[in-house]
Amino acid sequence: MTDIITPPPPSTRTVLIEVWRRVGFAPVLFILLLAINIAINPARFAPAAWGTLIGLAAPLIGAALASTPAILGGRGGIDISVGPLMGFINAVVVLVLVQRMGVDSPFIIVPVAIGLGMLVGVINGFLATILRIQPIVATLGTYLILIGTTLTILPAPTGTVPDWLRALGGPLSILPLGAVFLVWIGIRRLPYYDHLMAVGSDDRAAYTASIPVTLVRFVSYVITGGFAGVAALMMTALIGSADPSIGPTYTLIAISAVALGGVSLAGGRGRLLGAAIGAIDIFLLQSALTYFNLSTFVLQIAYGAVLVIAIVLTALQDKLLGRARGAR
Amino acid sequence: MLRLSSDQWRVLGSLLVAVGLHLTGTILIPGYSSEFSIRAMLVLASLLAIASIGQTLVVIIGGIDLSIPFLIGFANVVAAQLYGDGVDFVLVCLIVVSLAGLIGALNGAISSILGLHPLIVTLGIGTIVQGSVLLWTGGFPSGSAPGALSEFVSIGGSAGPVPVPWLVPAFVVLAALLAVVLSRTAYGRRLFALGSNPRAAPLALINPVGMWVITFAVSAIFAAITGILLLGFTGSAYGEVGQPYLFQTIAAVVIGGTALVGGRGSYFGTVAGALVLTEINTLLIGLGLQPSLVQAVLGVVIVGLVSFYGRDPHVRTTI
Repeated sequence: MTDIITPPPPSTRTVLIEVWRRVGFAPVLFILLLAINIAINPARFAPAAWGTLIGLAAPLIGAALASTPAILGGRGGIDISVGPLMGFINAVVVLVLVQRMGVDSPFIIVPVAIGLGMLVGVINGFLATILRIQPIVATLGTYLILIGTTLTILPAPTGTVPDWLRALGGPLSILPLGAVFLVWIGIRRLPYYDHLMAVGSDDRAAYTASIPVTLVRFVSYVITGGFAGVAALMMTALIGSADPSIGPTYTLIAISAVALGGVSLAGGRGRLLGAAIGAIDIFLLQSALTYFNLSTFVLQIAYGAVLVIAIVLTALQDKLLGRARGAR
Repeated sequence: MLRLSSDQWRVLGSLLVAVGLHLTGTILIPGYSSEFSIRAMLVLASLLAIASIGQTLVVIIGGIDLSIPFLIGFANVVAAQLYGDGVDFVLVCLIVVSLAGLIGALNGAISSILGLHPLIVTLGIGTIVQGSVLLWTGGFPSGSAPGALSEFVSIGGSAGPVPVPWLVPAFVVLAALLAVVLSRTAYGRRLFALGSNPRAAPLALINPVGMWVITFAVSAIFAAITGILLLGFTGSAYGEVGQPYLFQTIAAVVIGGTALVGGRGSYFGTVAGALVLTEINTLLIGLGLQPSLVQAVLGVVIVGLVSFYGRDPHVRTTI
């Protein structure tokens, strides 16, 4: 943040290095994986099919976006309840709103989903910042509560979704993703964003600069919750029903995507766009591995290996480019 | 009057909670304090406490280990498979434990040399380990446990005249040894020093990379031991057997008063935390709750307990 860049003659090389510094390793991986995918499976990756692909990747991207704000707040800030929260909202929307109450207007479903997410975000924020329980434990608590509640009201997959929501599962899933980015661009223009990054980098210095540290972190959990609500809608659109087992699987993959996208898990550094690219990387990786028709076991090994190699390369690149601030 | 530090109060607090839960169970549920039930709880709590040894050390040094459940599954499946193939069981244990130690050392080395967050590193390595084991066995692990091992952990077993399996007294000895290591050896002092101030510790000639490698290797070794013990407990191998331990080890550590920011904590606290978790589980299942509701209530209880005595300091007090 406080890098002093002496203005050199803007050669192509320095420009490239500057771009590299800003976005990290994930875009390189993105181009590489995209090329591999297009080469091995041109039909699936033809431009006409990109809409479907975005729809398939949307819930993971959404989950990664949702996980980012709480992590940016620093001092162990993390929300591992994002996945179960998506599952819970999925169950409430399909089972309670659509099936039991017969509501299918987007003007009710969308606010309810986002509102529920923000409500859980308020609870997480209260536990993690006002009660000051270590965030991973606080959100582990809500993780268990949300999974338990979801399984109690919805023991098995069921239900259908309204047509407008199903339509969002395809190319149109760019709309909710775009909405999340628009909201974030808005947030970036507020002083709040600078406060969040300052608190994430060094909360003690921020506190002495009279930034309301607790409030800033609290709000980051509420934003995370709201984004998780949008991610839940995209997941509901994709699977077209209520399924208690899918949501929780997103938590750890989303955090991996965030780390892959160059967001420091120590807070204060990283971009929402990076997290999104990290998520797309993971999606492309899964997609390429599935094509080879390997067993899910090989897929799992490759997934873990690429994750480790990618974060190791990111760290090495940080060292090479002199950005070796303590990542922990 | 005995004066206790705040850390000791936390340990005492969680022990009192465990006793309170046990009394509640005895009043509400007939047979809760029966001999069999107490034996079962002691065995389950010992297994959880052994799995949490590594998590405690890793958390004190300022990290976290998400590879524990995967290594438990790894040890469980590989030990059964090798023993089923006719390899001597002592040799099996040696192979499994040393492989686990190497994997753990790799976790520690990557995290500390490159300054990466151990949460992601251990998750990635754990995923690779689990995938490899599944690939090796084709998803259908076979093999069995030797009779002596089953006897060692069986709820019905007895250690000489004492009506508990040998696992429980062995665990008590292990816990005492660990307490000595933490408070009376150079390793223990370095562990706390590095955890409380990662920048100052190297100036005191503590090698951070070496400490991280050793500590994560120890964590993986105890996870592997838990996996082998679980093989004796269930009788057959199952790759997912470690999954409940992912969050339970963290919960046991935190309920026991060890701070996740590092530098503070004790293994006795973790033992108390393991007792609390076992009591809650037994109590809720005994009350006839569905497993999904048990999970939800467990979440409420963890948050409730930790908010009672496991809170972080406000930022204004850390300046």
